[in-house]
Amino acid sequence: MLVMRSVPSAPLVGPFADRLLALDFPALDPARRAQAIEFTIRRVDGLPSVIRFGVTVIAALFRGLLAVPGGDAVVRFLARTPLPLLGEYVRMVRSLGYAYIFETWPDTRADGSCPVTQEDVPA
Amino acid sequence: MSGIEPHQIHLRAQVLVVGSGAGGATTAALLAEAGFDVLIAEEGPWVDQDTVTAFSLEQMDRQYRSGGVTVALGLPSIAYTEGRCAGGGTEVNSGLYFRPPLDVVERWRRDFRIDGLDVDELDDIADEVELAINVTTVPGNATPASEILRRGAAALNWRHSEIPRWMKYPAGGDAITGKRQSMTRTYLPRAFAAGARMLVDTRVDRLVSNGLNVTAHVTYGDGTGRTPGGAITAAHVFVCGGAIQTPALLQRSGMRLHIGRSLAVHPTVKLSAKFADEVNVPDDVPVHQVKEFAPDLSFGGSASHSGLVALALTDEWKTFAPAIEDWRRMTIYYAAITSEGRGWVQAIPKVRDPLVTYRLSHRDREVLRSGLARLALLTLEAGATEVYPSFRGAPVVRGRGDLATMQERFAASKASVMTVHLCSTVPLGEHRDRCGADSFGKVHGADRVWVNDASLLPTAPGVNPQATVMAFAIRNARHFIEEQSLRQPHTNRGRT
Repeated sequence: MLVMRSVPSAPLVGPFADRLLALDFPALDPARRAQAIEFTIRRVDGLPSVIRFGVTVIAALFRGLLAVPGGDAVVRFLARTPLPLLGEYVRMVRSLGYAYIFETWPDTRADGSCPVTQEDVPA
Repeated sequence: MSGIEPHQIHLRAQVLVVGSGAGGATTAALLAEAGFDVLIAEEGPWVDQDTVTAFSLEQMDRQYRSGGVTVALGLPSIAYTEGRCAGGGTEVNSGLYFRPPLDVVERWRRDFRIDGLDVDELDDIADEVELAINVTTVPGNATPASEILRRGAAALNWRHSEIPRWMKYPAGGDAITGKRQSMTRTYLPRAFAAGARMLVDTRVDRLVSNGLNVTAHVTYGDGTGRTPGGAITAAHVFVCGGAIQTPALLQRSGMRLHIGRSLAVHPTVKLSAKFADEVNVPDDVPVHQVKEFAPDLSFGGSASHSGLVALALTDEWKTFAPAIEDWRRMTIYYAAITSEGRGWVQAIPKVRDPLVTYRLSHRDREVLRSGLARLALLTLEAGATEVYPSFRGAPVVRGRGDLATMQERFAASKASVMTVHLCSTVPLGEHRDRCGADSFGKVHGADRVWVNDASLLPTAPGVNPQATVMAFAIRNARHFIEEQSLRQPHTNRGRT
């Protein structure tokens, strides 16, 4: 298990989480998406040992698919198709990302956009 | 907080209590007040209640194991949460109080051959507990989310009631101004006042007994990196780490007979309901529950801040997404069942965390299906305009006519099933084919090691188990004190 703890999840989970949240929330500000991904990675790093092992294996598979030509479309398909086991990974990343986005910015719309607030208006 | 001990290479105590939740804190307080030299080892940090928002992601980071992302593997897997902080689950749970169900206790006594279990004694202890943790109903009106449960149940003529909580409300306060009377505010200060010491951020990896003493090998720190270790030697150890960590520690220490083989939970499924008015209360939970179908099935309300509403909608996001923009008009409800299924907790050599599995029975799946449909009906009767069940392929329910479709499409394997009540991994009793500990929590076949937490409850009690855990813990601690008094009647049991 020391081996699993030494495998950083950011390079494996980050790119898929980025793709998934960009797909689900096309209007979400990239800086906010980055924060949500960072949160997701932190939670994956803290998973119980056995679960983290399984997640790392699946995350590596998804990361590999993203790297090959046409892999993007395969990942997009997997993100929309609830397959056993693989689907659980998608579900976890989605749940963590959504929980973070909507708790941190409760007025986020369904497409990820946010109403303009006073803070956004230049002085 | 006075009573917190600095980390040291080697510590000694007469009694080591592992864990500081509902079982550990009560055990520590009673033993310290009886004159024992008590040291508490808590894996998590001390977090003052006022410094964290209830049910927030920040709270999950600081006070839950693995940030709240823990799961019992199965089809479906069941998400669960464990408190990992001083006070354990009492710091993070709903604070809803149920007296020990005496009919269930009587069945446990008979089926598991629990010697000396007097239901009247347990009932008296419950009276004590209620005073100690200030069990009370909310002042004034309940929150809108709670009122919905009451209204829906009343319309259907279903049995329902307001559940009291372990809370203190300020004069003139309302339903959301209460302070939870958790272990860090009640039994742990009592333990410190009687001389108990406490180590936080201290994980007990294993126990080694030589017949005279037990040595606990510990690591210090938050568990994320390599940390210095130490040892605590004690004459007696009470393991009170909860229904997952307690059997895992015993197994790592070589104790395996009927340990971790009978995990019982109350699986729940949920839905989000939308109303015409703003009903959402972000950082509190409804106090009404519906018990028309209890003990098989109960309905209640969950914390419902915007992030949790989004989470409840993710299973069918492509259909449900627009609803998130109305989260202030939405709130989350659950249907919890008494399960016939069972799970395992298995420590794996060289692996830090145990493997947890759970298997729902066929009957469990059917009760979850009918439970979710009845819950949807209840919210419709209470005035919900739209109901969003949390499972893949779920329809939006807008009226009674949609309930049949919802039931048809439901399968437990497509649902987000979760639980917060974990128990029964070291059942107590003299039935040697089923029980991991004796009638008072001493681990069968082990020297000087006791269990005193939710692990001991022979089955899931069908209600929030905290009061039952506390009542059993107090009963067992008193028995230990009496037993030790008989063995050493003329010596000062206290500090050495």
